[in-house]
Amino acid sequence: MKDNSINDNATSAATSAMDDLHFRRSLFADPTTQDKDVIEAQKNDPAKKRLAQELCQFDEQIKQAMKIPVPDDLCNKLLLRQTLVSHHQEKRKTRIHLALAASIAIIAGLVVNYLQFSYSYSNLGDYALAHVYHEQNAFSNGDNTRVSLTSLNQKMTTFNGNFNESMGELIAADYCRFDGMKSLHLVFKGLTDVVTVFVVPKEDHLTFTDKFSDNTLQGESLSFQHANIIVVSDKNESLSKWESIIKNNITWLI
Amino acid sequence: MKIFGNKKSTVQVSTNMATKQVRYEALVKALHGDLYRYGYWLTHDKQVAEDLVQETFLRAWRALDSLQDEKAAKSWLITILRRENARRFERKRLEMSEYEEASILDTQSTSAEQKIDDNWLRDKIAKLPPEYSEPLVLQVLGGYSGDDIANMLNLNKNTVMTRLFRARHQLKDALEKEPDRTRLIYER
Repeated sequence: MKDNSINDNATSAATSAMDDLHFRRSLFADPTTQDKDVIEAQKNDPAKKRLAQELCQFDEQIKQAMKIPVPDDLCNKLLLRQTLVSHHQEKRKTRIHLALAASIAIIAGLVVNYLQFSYSYSNLGDYALAHVYHEQNAFSNGDNTRVSLTSLNQKMTTFNGNFNESMGELIAADYCRFDGMKSLHLVFKGLTDVVTVFVVPKEDHLTFTDKFSDNTLQGESLSFQHANIIVVSDKNESLSKWESIIKNNITWLI
Repeated sequence: MKIFGNKKSTVQVSTNMATKQVRYEALVKALHGDLYRYGYWLTHDKQVAEDLVQETFLRAWRALDSLQDEKAAKSWLITILRRENARRFERKRLEMSEYEEASILDTQSTSAEQKIDDNWLRDKIAKLPPEYSEPLVLQVLGGYSGDDIANMLNLNKNTVMTRLFRARHQLKDALEKEPDRTRLIYER
């Protein structure tokens, strides 16, 4: 069988345009070849044609044999595994995002804290002036609001102090940040403009300045055992008058 | 405004994810069989072939955006699988155990005779030197041309054609040594 199918090409080989070896090589390398010479060579040679058919048949068999069964669950396994992996990644991403957001929030908090509570002035006077200028537009001598002595003294309890009598027309009394320290900010009606009184806890970072002024404002500080009291007004006001009023009026509870 | 913009881009991202998912599923469904078989003929081990396919598709998922041409998907995956297989050998030089082709049972409904022939032929294919069987698998199973195979295996075309010639020649020789197998080519 072998002989007549493959090697028995003697009769036609001589007449073939393509030599036998080349034909066999091409066909074995690719039985479905569309090479013109290979196809032409088969036309006049039944043995070559048979060989070509056999090889095509054989290739079908090889293909069949190569198609080993694929595990039924492989497809699902692949899809499942991918789902798990991307779910994992997604979760990790969320965690990273969360961590990032948290870090940013913490940093932002620190920065705000730093800005708000950092000490940017070196003495009481400078800061007091800056503070007054900052709130210049918030109060005016013509404001009609008045704060009672009782509510002022309620606020003064924070500093363990108490005012015995009303010291004038109090337009506003509120806690505020005095260069990072919780202080009481009092605004009195003055002669021509408001008089600002700060009650500030004693702290080391601001050096005590008993008198200070600039072109428009003047100020004086009174030092008590637990707090400083600072008075800032325009130049029409007699600060010594305010000072004595405060001194005579205040009682410290400790 | 800003929040709205963010929301829109989130939607965009999840649509992209959904598209990617669909592409991936289509890829798995269409090609996992071919890839598994290719892996099997590369490794002669069903379990290893399955692991390779898993690894390949996982990498494919991660790199899916780099796949521009869906027609090239199969050869792209085959390239990944071959690389994975090479990596496997780097990890541990596996001792090549004797093949266990005889134990493969065909679940397809073919005749008993066909099954025996398939198994016999599988055994012969498995015994081909890997440099012969690999291009043969790519050609017969993958349907790739000599040029494609040369590209995929980084060989020149003449080498590929010679190896294909030798692969078939060896199989045919083996066949002719066993006259009762010749029905594989002569009788059907």
